[in-house]
Amino acid sequence: MPRVFITGLGFVTSIGNDAATVTRNLRELRHGFEVFPPFQKPEIPVKVIGTIKDFATNSPDPEDWTFPAGYKIKRELLRTMAPNGLFAQCAMLQAVADARLTEPDISNAHTGLYAASGGSPYLLHYHNDRLNKVGVMRCSPLGIVASIAGTLNFNLIAAFKIQGSSCGFSSACASSAHAFGFALDDLQLGRQKRMFVVGAEDGNLDAILPFAGMRTLSLQTDPNLASRPFDAARDGFVGTGGGVALVLETEAEVVRRGVTPYAEVLGWGQASDGWNVAISHPEGSGSAAAMTLALRASGVAPEQVDYVNAHATSTLIGDISEARALRSVFQDSALRPAVSSTKALTGHGLSLAGVMESAFCALAIREGFIPGNAHLTKLDPECAGINILRTTENTPPKIVVKNSSGFGGANVALVFKRVA
Amino acid sequence: MLDPVLPNQGTNKPTPSTNKPFSPEDETALREALKRCSPSAFESAVQFRKTGNAEHVPAVVIGVIERFVEPDLRIKLKDADDDLRLIEDLGIDSLTMMEIVILVEDVLQMTINNDELRNLRTVGDVKTFIDCKIRGLVLPKPTKFIPIEHIGAVMPVQPPFLFLNEASVSSTAANGKYKITGQEFFLQGHFKDNPVMPASIMLEALGQLAVLYLLEGAPTEPGKVVSPQSIFFTGCEGVRAHRICKPGEILSLSIKPKRMKMPLATFEGAIRVGQEKAVIAEEITLTFLIVDAANAPVSINGSSEHAGNQGGAAVAPATGVPPLRVAMNATG
Repeated sequence: MPRVFITGLGFVTSIGNDAATVTRNLRELRHGFEVFPPFQKPEIPVKVIGTIKDFATNSPDPEDWTFPAGYKIKRELLRTMAPNGLFAQCAMLQAVADARLTEPDISNAHTGLYAASGGSPYLLHYHNDRLNKVGVMRCSPLGIVASIAGTLNFNLIAAFKIQGSSCGFSSACASSAHAFGFALDDLQLGRQKRMFVVGAEDGNLDAILPFAGMRTLSLQTDPNLASRPFDAARDGFVGTGGGVALVLETEAEVVRRGVTPYAEVLGWGQASDGWNVAISHPEGSGSAAAMTLALRASGVAPEQVDYVNAHATSTLIGDISEARALRSVFQDSALRPAVSSTKALTGHGLSLAGVMESAFCALAIREGFIPGNAHLTKLDPECAGINILRTTENTPPKIVVKNSSGFGGANVALVFKRVA
Repeated sequence: MLDPVLPNQGTNKPTPSTNKPFSPEDETALREALKRCSPSAFESAVQFRKTGNAEHVPAVVIGVIERFVEPDLRIKLKDADDDLRLIEDLGIDSLTMMEIVILVEDVLQMTINNDELRNLRTVGDVKTFIDCKIRGLVLPKPTKFIPIEHIGAVMPVQPPFLFLNEASVSSTAANGKYKITGQEFFLQGHFKDNPVMPASIMLEALGQLAVLYLLEGAPTEPGKVVSPQSIFFTGCEGVRAHRICKPGEILSLSIKPKRMKMPLATFEGAIRVGQEKAVIAEEITLTFLIVDAANAPVSINGSSEHAGNQGGAAVAPATGVPPLRVAMNATG
């Protein structure tokens, strides 16, 4: 079975729009939260999100958008994009440059792309509204491909002339982790030589605010206190958007192209709670099973794991069940592995979360640090018995596990390894 | 330009909302809709909405097309002739065409059906189309490409005396190509050891293209066709040959109808080789007759295909039975 490596990363996130900025903010535990202007109305109790800086996408017309001048995107591409498409396009361009891929490397039968976004509720709403207002035959011919779930893969496949495997993944907050897992399968099964894994979300009012209905959003008004995974005072997650792209390649391609990978991907596992549509299993059974399967597939014993980048979103129930899953897999060891949730810095990227945090793991592995769990003042006693890092450690992790969970009780775990 | 044969049926008129006076709110909406178009496109749209004067329409349509063309290609539109092609020259795909249509519909307050769009290939097609819609005129037939097999099937003249390899015909013009092979029987004697395409044959080729126009492009009323057996040469004026044409060269033929009233149709014609003028004919006049489609004789190759009756023609005997009925009968 071919070995698989991460060879390129691209970021448009609340904590930075390039790898260097993201690395610095992860190390120094600087968050990306701001009071979000569209939420500043008395009837909206949610106030804070992880904002995307230097991008303005608050118009249904992509030609109104502004983004850093270094990105050249033709109208022909832009016109069918949701905000998450723009974020992902920019992340893809970074990842392509980072991995030093040429056009023939990207557009061929052996290179595929798996993507995950929740679509664009914002544009879907806008276009359906237009349909009602101006008539069925006068609504935008491009509204569908710009807004439905799948808009991300439609756009990226066309923009980058992808000829290999392509698919969109929809398992809510586990989506891009699923995309990652199945991309790994394609490479290990010899179906593809190179895969892009991309996650993106609009991260605007329409994408985030509906979560308020199930009372999962933090109502904190102070950006410094809003996202507190594992803390006793946590009161829900903070939404965010952005786009992250990651390049996976087989060993043969890495050698052929002479590139230095960030990390090796050892394996993955997934399991489902079989419990509730939106509430995670109280004992974290699915998450524990996913981790166990991932470690087994990777040939790694639990005690070998140095760091777990937790899914923990800062919700009341979710963080506890993941803590229980971690305790069961790592046998109540209070020392190993180190655990942190970087959502304390970024907020919860929904479909984007899995690949964004996998890319964080890749940065941590290459740069030799383990990011701390920010904003942890008083540990929730229910989450005790795991080694949650409060500050960043400057020790290079050798084996890293990345957890992701989504609605319906879908759980994914990915295992990464430092290269030599 | 031919006058349309059909009377105004009223079906292509702009939607009645144009009857409302043009309000300041309308102007604001128009400005927003055309905010990425040139100021002249906006001004023309305002004038059209205020006066209904169709003279302003081309500037609006060109302005809207320009807005959807990639900036580096827009220069082509500056001195565009009507033959500029939407897909090949301007990079406009069918989705962009829909964007153009929806914006035009919005600013000119009209409705365009999907099937009306399929045949719009050039800037001229679009301008003519919108102009006809605004004036409530019947739309001209779209330019259609006619391959050699079809030319042979519809033309009364046949090889070895057929001098068209391919042709495209619209309601306002016809263009064709003929490659001089050197195998033409008359080149053995014209001239001795020096084959040169006879000017009289080149005039004949132009005449044949005019015949094809009468059969495939000329507007006729429903149920009426030009009888292929009725077309004959009557005269020509102002014919000049500018260049000798030799085997291996490709003749680019073009004709445009100048006048058409049964039984006479007069055309102007020209032949070029590459960019070089070869033959000019100021006038070529043919006689023709329009007959009922039901009575039209089956053409030489046994196919009854003719203008205005494609589709089911291959299976439909020329009995005047609608193709659908024939098809239904055929399947029992």
